[in-house]
Amino acid sequence: MRVEEESGSASVKMEETMKNILRLGVIAATSGLVMATGAAFADDDEIVVGMATAESGFMQAYDKPAQEAAMIRIDEINKAGGLLGKQIKVVTADTKTDRAEGAKAGLEVLDKGADLVIVSCDYDFGSPAALAAEAAGKVSFFLCAESIKAGIQGVGPHSFSASVLAAVQGATMAEWSFKKKNARSFYVLLDTWTEYNKGICDGFDWMAPKLEGAEVVGRDTFKNEDASIASQITRIKSLAKEPDAIMLCSMMPGVVSAIKQIRAAGIKSMILNGSGVDGSYWLNAVPDLSNFFVPVQGSIYGDDPNPAVEEFNKKYETVTGARPSSQYVYPGYVLIDIWAKAVERAKSTDADAVVAELEKMTDEVTLFGPRTFTNEIHHQNKGRYLISEVTAGKPKIVDEWTISEPVPLDALLKQ
Amino acid sequence: MNAHRSVLARTVSTPALLILLLLAIALVAKLFGSGPFERTVTELFIRIVLVVGLYIFIGNSGVMSFGHVGFMCLGAYGTAWLTIPPAMKKFALTGLPDFILQHQAPIALSLVLSPLLAAVFALLIGRILMRLAGIAASIATFAMLAVINTVYSNWETVTGATSSVVGIPMKTGVWLSFGGALFAVIVGYGYGISRYGLALRSARDEAIAAAASGVDIERQRLIAFVISAFVIGVAGVLYAHFLGVVNPDAFYLNLTFISLAMLVVGGMNSLSGAVIGVVAISAMIEILRALEKGIPVGEAMLAIPNGVQEIAIGIAMIVILIFRPSGLMRNRELRWSRWPFERTSENK
Amino acid sequence: MTAILQIVFDALSLGSIYALGALGIALIFGVMRLVNFAHGDYISFCVFAMLVPSTDAMSEMFLGSLPTVVLVPVILLIGAGVSVLSEIVVFRRLRDANPATMMIASFALGFILKHFLLMLFSSRPKSINLWPDLSLPVEILGARLPLLQLIAIGITIIILVALSAFLKQTRFGLEMRAAAENFTMARMLGVKANRVILIAFAISGMLAASIGLLLAAQTGTADIQMGVSVMLVAFIATVIGGLGSLAGAVVAGYLIGAASVLMQVILPLEARPFRDAFVYAAVIACLIWRPQGLFAPKSAKQRV
Repeated sequence: MRVEEESGSASVKMEETMKNILRLGVIAATSGLVMATGAAFADDDEIVVGMATAESGFMQAYDKPAQEAAMIRIDEINKAGGLLGKQIKVVTADTKTDRAEGAKAGLEVLDKGADLVIVSCDYDFGSPAALAAEAAGKVSFFLCAESIKAGIQGVGPHSFSASVLAAVQGATMAEWSFKKKNARSFYVLLDTWTEYNKGICDGFDWMAPKLEGAEVVGRDTFKNEDASIASQITRIKSLAKEPDAIMLCSMMPGVVSAIKQIRAAGIKSMILNGSGVDGSYWLNAVPDLSNFFVPVQGSIYGDDPNPAVEEFNKKYETVTGARPSSQYVYPGYVLIDIWAKAVERAKSTDADAVVAELEKMTDEVTLFGPRTFTNEIHHQNKGRYLISEVTAGKPKIVDEWTISEPVPLDALLKQ
Repeated sequence: MNAHRSVLARTVSTPALLILLLLAIALVAKLFGSGPFERTVTELFIRIVLVVGLYIFIGNSGVMSFGHVGFMCLGAYGTAWLTIPPAMKKFALTGLPDFILQHQAPIALSLVLSPLLAAVFALLIGRILMRLAGIAASIATFAMLAVINTVYSNWETVTGATSSVVGIPMKTGVWLSFGGALFAVIVGYGYGISRYGLALRSARDEAIAAAASGVDIERQRLIAFVISAFVIGVAGVLYAHFLGVVNPDAFYLNLTFISLAMLVVGGMNSLSGAVIGVVAISAMIEILRALEKGIPVGEAMLAIPNGVQEIAIGIAMIVILIFRPSGLMRNRELRWSRWPFERTSENK
Repeated sequence: MTAILQIVFDALSLGSIYALGALGIALIFGVMRLVNFAHGDYISFCVFAMLVPSTDAMSEMFLGSLPTVVLVPVILLIGAGVSVLSEIVVFRRLRDANPATMMIASFALGFILKHFLLMLFSSRPKSINLWPDLSLPVEILGARLPLLQLIAIGITIIILVALSAFLKQTRFGLEMRAAAENFTMARMLGVKANRVILIAFAISGMLAASIGLLLAAQTGTADIQMGVSVMLVAFIATVIGGLGSLAGAVVAGYLIGAASVLMQVILPLEARPFRDAFVYAAVIACLIWRPQGLFAPKSAKQRV
């Protein structure tokens, strides 16, 4: 592996120089093309909504369903006469599940005149585009991010999230299982892979001390990619008495393996989860699963107490070819719903006016639960959740719960 | 015969040409480009700093290091700690010492201090690792990266763990990152022609003869390790100020793969290889991405399906490596000879 | 006593998967000095081969619905097939290139495979219901072990024995060992390079397929990233065990599995998320102590 320090033949060098000039030319050409297809000004008869989400790569499986739901609402609004009398036009840019590309996607939709920038389902991947929107003074909305950062604290005063905080999920499961199922002994099993998982457990840890008589009998951690959680299970089994409930703060894909192993070890405790495990598509990996509970914003199984939800499910199936695969479809619909309402009330799409209207919303009724925004929190720290129970491999809505007090900001920020 | 020209005079055309190339790209971006294109070029320059940093160690020592992206992580978080406004740091990063929490450093200061942190860490861990050679060293550097990644992903009070650290002033534009690339190329070149670089390359090519000639191989490797850590730390700082948020998993396997690929495809053993590798692969990626978005050709839209870009880039890299196994530059440097002004005996 | 036995079983079952992975990587490394970073993606490929390609959330069993007696050989063949194909299409042309080039080529190959799977299946993990009865626990001397992990340990031992027999007693095995020790000399003595390498790749592919089957049965999900962590550990285990030594790779795989389990058990709760940092620090320590590996032949010791 010797470096040839000699200049070598002149032709080699010219070849290299020519190659570089060619490359430069290509870059210039590409930039020209990018520029040419770039800026377009919004029509005055249109309101432009920009979607800087993942159309390829890892996040696509999560962004696409919520995006489809958002498109359904946009379609409904357009058919009903539009927003402020104007039709809503959608422009998109692919973040390719890459942070730097995400920032560019945000800039692209802004260049196309977007008044609202919708960004990825996850704070980490949505924030670059959201930050671009914030810098341009436009409203940004996270499709379904459940971290407190997806809002003022992580982006800026014009940023919001359409879903409910992960902490609320943990707190809901704690309170519900305590009050409705008489669960007194809890074991906390945390998957340290993502912020979302930690959020669920933080919410649980905030609520648990308030429940008189509830006791956390043990805690453990694991990593989502661990093929085996045998040691963690051994710890649970070595407790004097099986805990009433296991709070499992985890998400796809590792959570399936964890649940499989827990049940295979003969542990019959209730398993409480966050919304991340909603969906029946994975249940055949753990046949005959029972005593398993998930909080959801709406039911994809056809048994939502509100019949309008099932109508939405059917409409979703007509538009996309399949029913919603998990409850994470719903926040996309809610997003457009409340933004449109705020625009109507503000009578303009000006960012500051819309933000002011959004912040006035308290328990605003939506198809999938009430929404409240304040000038401190642009997210939901309290929410109405439906509790879904899986029995013999079949999920069913069994109850509904709203936590007795909202999760306070300092408990959320400690994440 | 031009035996009296110094090494500097003989070789300075290399960094000059490279810098001119980068300057041309920067000018094209600023004069003709749109916002997104400027960001693409900024990212290109940051990658150049990273890959040149890799070259400083890997190219000169012959040891394939999988862990250098860890230094980028150190640099990025270092600047996050220093430059995020106190109001935002106070709640998120409670484990930091008070004087950091209460002050906000200007980026210029951070550009010196944060890479220094990476360099000091490299010095400490390098003393242990540099006695290894060959593939054992490569694995050890990977283990180092894994340790950094694990620690940063779980140390909640200091790094925010897997939560993105937010609030970094977004100041990296085309010119700042061009400055970084300029710095990297100059350092890479300077180290390469220095006697330390020469000594290390001799150890790379013939370890036993070099040791017999008095080269302290471990020390030379350590020097290259520390310098490369500093340069890559600079890349980390620029990256943090580019995105505005940092997260440990941005500095792990994917970035390691793409940066090593750019280095090897360009030519592992030359500075020009490092730079050309980045420019070539980045250009290919951008063209493919533009194709994915669709190019209007007359009435129709010419587009490739989403997701094909990554597959195509992988195939392109393999094809380049099959036809040019030592990389695009074939381990030569870009050089301006005297042709066509003079034919000398140097030209074959 | 049962607690210790439980730890031993946990370590053995985790170590078995790592050992199989290390074996797959060590085989190819021994013969070609190539670290095949695409190995993890062969694992994912074999698992996804069991499903119908679709981006829907629901997964449908494709090959996976075949009866076990047919399924296992078919998946093994698929593993061997994808591995041999990558040798013919990519690695053969890089035979004389330097190690770094081959490494990057294998990275790129893995990258292509992963994104190909991503395009066909989307990034959402798919559920696989493979041999569910094997997840039921079995009690041995008071320690609880899922039947599947007992089988995994058993299969690993069988594979090791079979492979050793193959290497020591068949002609192909002899040729492979010769090629691993000194490729050029072996060729001069009449060993057909291409054939030996193809056999190495085929066996390595079959090992990847068996890891895939075990992981799929154990975790119940097919995810494009599922092979990555196994591959990384396998890579490390190969080096720690001593390059070119298959026994070393296997032992190192078990050691890393044991270290990981031990850390999970011993560490206090606050330190447990940092478990991997300790394991990797132990790896560095091991390399400092014996850079040529635990079982390296004497000729491998660095002279300088």
